Amino acid sequence: MSYQDDLPETSGYSKVSVIFSAIAGLALAVGSVWWAAGTAVFYEGLFRVNPTVAGGGIGTDWVVGNTVPWLDFLVALIHAVDVLMGVFILLMVFIHWAAFRRLATRMKQPGERTAEAVATDGGETDD
Amino acid sequence: MTSLDHGKFTRVTTTFHSLLGLDVFILFFTGYSLTFNDELWWMLSLLGGPQSVTALHRAAGFGLIALIGFWMTLMITTDTGRSNFREIIPSPKDFVAFIQDVQFALGRADERHPNAKQFAGGDPDEIPLLSYIGKGVVFIFAAELFLLTVSGLLIWSKTGLMQYFGTKTAAMGFVVFHGLLGVVMLMGVMLHIFEHGLHPAFYPVEPKAYIPRELIPETHADGGIEDLTLSPSWRAVSSVMGILTVVGITSVMIGSIFDEGYPVPREISIGGGPENLLLTIGINAGIFVLFVGLVLSMYGNLLRVRWERRLEKERQQPTAADGGQPDDD
Repeated sequence: MSYQDDLPETSGYSKVSVIFSAIAGLALAVGSVWWAAGTAVFYEGLFRVNPTVAGGGIGTDWVVGNTVPWLDFLVALIHAVDVLMGVFILLMVFIHWAAFRRLATRMKQPGERTAEAVATDGGETDD
Repeated sequence: MTSLDHGKFTRVTTTFHSLLGLDVFILFFTGYSLTFNDELWWMLSLLGGPQSVTALHRAAGFGLIALIGFWMTLMITTDTGRSNFREIIPSPKDFVAFIQDVQFALGRADERHPNAKQFAGGDPDEIPLLSYIGKGVVFIFAAELFLLTVSGLLIWSKTGLMQYFGTKTAAMGFVVFHGLLGVVMLMGVMLHIFEHGLHPAFYPVEPKAYIPRELIPETHADGGIEDLTLSPSWRAVSSVMGILTVVGITSVMIGSIFDEGYPVPREISIGGGPENLLLTIGINAGIFVLFVGLVLSMYGNLLRVRWERRLEKERQQPTAADGGQPDDD
């Protein structure tokens, strides 16, 4: 039995679809960054040219103010999400930590003499 | 026998995972040296100051959009992608697995649920493509990366935002939103590193994400976890990494509460420094965990190369029928 026979037959991705997807990904990246960079305004045009609030002239910043209510709400919301998810993620760390400690006790302990030693990193055993 | 366990990912997936990880690590190191610059001032200087850091962050952001676009296209256009997508949709079993994991951690269940198991032993069909936490990671990270990309693109040109909203602070508001949003992912990645780096059977890294399934013999692992020997350094290293992970997650969570910036305060508020020594140490502990993750990702790829060489060598000489080394037993 050659080594290839022992390896499983797996479904993978064809070269064509990988290349096609890579091109699509790059196109998306170029397009979106192009759009995002294109929304820039030359700084001399900002709060300057049009002398009305609606036109974004000088003083608009002062009239509109320091806060946008819904943006303020979004920032508060994301603060809450951070704390809630943080507590949940900590819980998951503790569950895994405890589970790993239980699993470790089931394994052969490092000092134990055994007939077949096992490399834990998937490498060669040194017997 | 090795503790490779069963390969579940294709070569494209393993490569994508490594590239995505590398890109996200660069985004974290550059982005959070700005958000938490009181605590990570050294990283900001090390990466070449604010201008260099923002340029690197944008370059990595471009890479992230390309990777997301690649992956979405691949998942939608191929049969393998579509069938794998069906396999990662959360099911009621995953909730049961979560409950059972809590019980297992408390000593009230004897086994982890199949949907929670990372190590299958002899039975590859027993465990699904992703554990319940793996599915959670995929969906939460996908949502996070999408929102981070959208908000990142919005703040790409801040003058555009300023003009649109008629106020300069709106741009700051979006920057703060973007930074706070990433904190969930930052904490999640720390959990991800702990979970896949410190499983006793796989320590120091679970090779499933690095060695493609086409390279893992189906018959190689016949035993259970009792047949594996615990690494001598596992107990000490897992304790240290566990503490660092918990400290890191807690610190970035606390840091995210204090690192405001919107609405822009009347007076400049300077945080960090000696009065915030604990937070500074804690956030740096978290960054250290990320750095360990980056190293483990490279180590995982090294394992793949070593495994490929080993198979290559076996191809040239007669092998044992079980696909292992002829002198294994």
